[in-house]
Amino acid sequence: MKKVIVTVLGKDRPGIISLISNHLYDLDCNLENVNQMILQEQFAGFFIVAPPAGMRIETLSETLNAKAQNSGLTIHIHSIKDNETPKDNIKGETFLITTIGPDKKGLVARFSKIIARYNANIENLKAVFKGGSDPNANIMSYQVFITPEIDTAQLFEALKDKATELGLDIRIQHKNIFDAINKI
Amino acid sequence: MFDDQEIISTIEMVKNENLDVRAVTLGLNLFDCISHDLERFKKNIRTKIINHAQTLVDVCDAVGEKYGIKVVNKRISISPIALVGGCFSSDQMVDIAHELNEIAKQVHIDFIGGFSALVEKGIAPGDQALIDALPKALAGTQRLCASVNVATTRAGINMDAVLEMAKAIKKAAALSSDEDGLACAKLCVFSNIPQDMPFMAGAYLGVGVADAVINVGVSGPGVVKKAIERNLESRPDLNLGHIAEIIKKTACKVTRVGELIGREVARNLDIKFGVVDLSLAPTPTVGDSIGEIFQALGLTNIGVPGSTAALAMLNDAVKKGGAFASSHVGGLSGAFIPVSEDLNIANAADKGFLSIEKLESMTCVCSVGLDMVPIPGDITIECLAGIIADEMAIGMINSKTTATRLIPVPGKKAGDRVYFGGLLGEARIMDVPNSNLCDQFVKYGGRIPAPIHSMKN
Repeated sequence: MKKVIVTVLGKDRPGIISLISNHLYDLDCNLENVNQMILQEQFAGFFIVAPPAGMRIETLSETLNAKAQNSGLTIHIHSIKDNETPKDNIKGETFLITTIGPDKKGLVARFSKIIARYNANIENLKAVFKGGSDPNANIMSYQVFITPEIDTAQLFEALKDKATELGLDIRIQHKNIFDAINKI
Repeated sequence: MFDDQEIISTIEMVKNENLDVRAVTLGLNLFDCISHDLERFKKNIRTKIINHAQTLVDVCDAVGEKYGIKVVNKRISISPIALVGGCFSSDQMVDIAHELNEIAKQVHIDFIGGFSALVEKGIAPGDQALIDALPKALAGTQRLCASVNVATTRAGINMDAVLEMAKAIKKAAALSSDEDGLACAKLCVFSNIPQDMPFMAGAYLGVGVADAVINVGVSGPGVVKKAIERNLESRPDLNLGHIAEIIKKTACKVTRVGELIGREVARNLDIKFGVVDLSLAPTPTVGDSIGEIFQALGLTNIGVPGSTAALAMLNDAVKKGGAFASSHVGGLSGAFIPVSEDLNIANAADKGFLSIEKLESMTCVCSVGLDMVPIPGDITIECLAGIIADEMAIGMINSKTTATRLIPVPGKKAGDRVYFGGLLGEARIMDVPNSNLCDQFVKYGGRIPAPIHSMKN
């Protein structure tokens, strides 16, 4: 077995990262990448791990779940294929598509459907809906990777049409402008 | 990924704070177009400019669209015509002006600058021909901008040229009397003009610059004002040192935006990138005003006591922020106080908070000088020359760029309204005390010697 991704879900509290990383250490696994986020007090963590040679994924899954049995966390483990093209080798540009306006059911579904139709990849999505009258309290921001084969003009036009239909203000800007302004 | 505030503040800058790239300026060297034959010269400059500029507007629009930040003006600056067309007569210079105007229309740019002469030490025949041609050249064209440098710290003030320019301004105003003297809005008189400058109306491509270069002028007074207001709202205990820091950081961000866009335009056109000119230049729109920054800083209006100190702080902070953001800052880089182009400044003058004397004192610390100031049309040539000489002296003594863009509006007097339209704005004519005097001083001519710098005080 080469690498696996360990997904950990549960109510956020102190010690989750420590618990999982220590169990992985006890199992002689090498932690390569970790990322986590908290959404409305729910913890989601992703650990990319290289297990020791000869260890089966089932064994790893059973042992880790047994160790974390009383933690209240849900743990999933999947293997990662080796032959995928690293993203660094794919040519393209990243845009931030931001919509601002009142919350409605299905906003993410409708915009992501258009993005998927043009085969553009959503690398990151932030949706903050706080309600109220402040327009900036309800924003969605998609970080989308667009390869040269994609018809950018048509994609952007379709997104703008959808935003108009839904009464949202939409801004589509290359990621570099956010870097220039915010990452000094 | 960026956090919510980073995304919102970036979008706000564009959406509500009028952040834009004020101008992308293609600088073109015309020395390889020189010919004694006027028709050949015109053909050469047409071929060269069109070859380089035919896709300029489309590329700027595409890059602006990509980043969501509009490139408002697309312009061209050229080598000073008094140098590259030095062998031509005044009438032929007017012909060249019309040719440049037509080329500008053909490539859909807003302005072409460089109908210029550098005469601080003396006036050569080509310079004289250009100065003589200015009134007709500017009154008969729409997109041509002109500038004449009459003083430097090292050469002193060429008072012959000052008087010549006062005459040229009066004539240009008379020839465009049906448009409130609009021709003068495209003419600057400079002291210490920068070697190369992308901002109109004084833009030209300097000697010692590459054959073709993309310069970018960024603005954003609305962004600076909002940053000050936002910070003061959340932290009312801020002092002026803190506020200067906020202005500096904001200027830095705005400059980085300009450089990013300018470099991409340059790359797409396969032309070298030159400089970023971060000049807080207003437009006649609410929320895009330098005057409003003074109010954000706690002054009733621009022009009241404290205004010069506020402007000094603003100008310096803008320069520091710009210099930190980019290693290639040039042009004028600083804060402008053009009267008719800034709704708030025009109103301050209208209400009596800002006089021409106070404006002149403020030019000691601002980026340029007496800019877009409409004055009574019956001002004497001597008085007009006196105002220009005073402004040149401020630049010469203080080793800084100063300029005048004065518009003596024919048939109108102090308090009358003038309307120039577009970015040039509108205002009431400012009162010029003693504008009827015909003092001898400016008529002596000669050069006021360059100042000594070893005994500064």
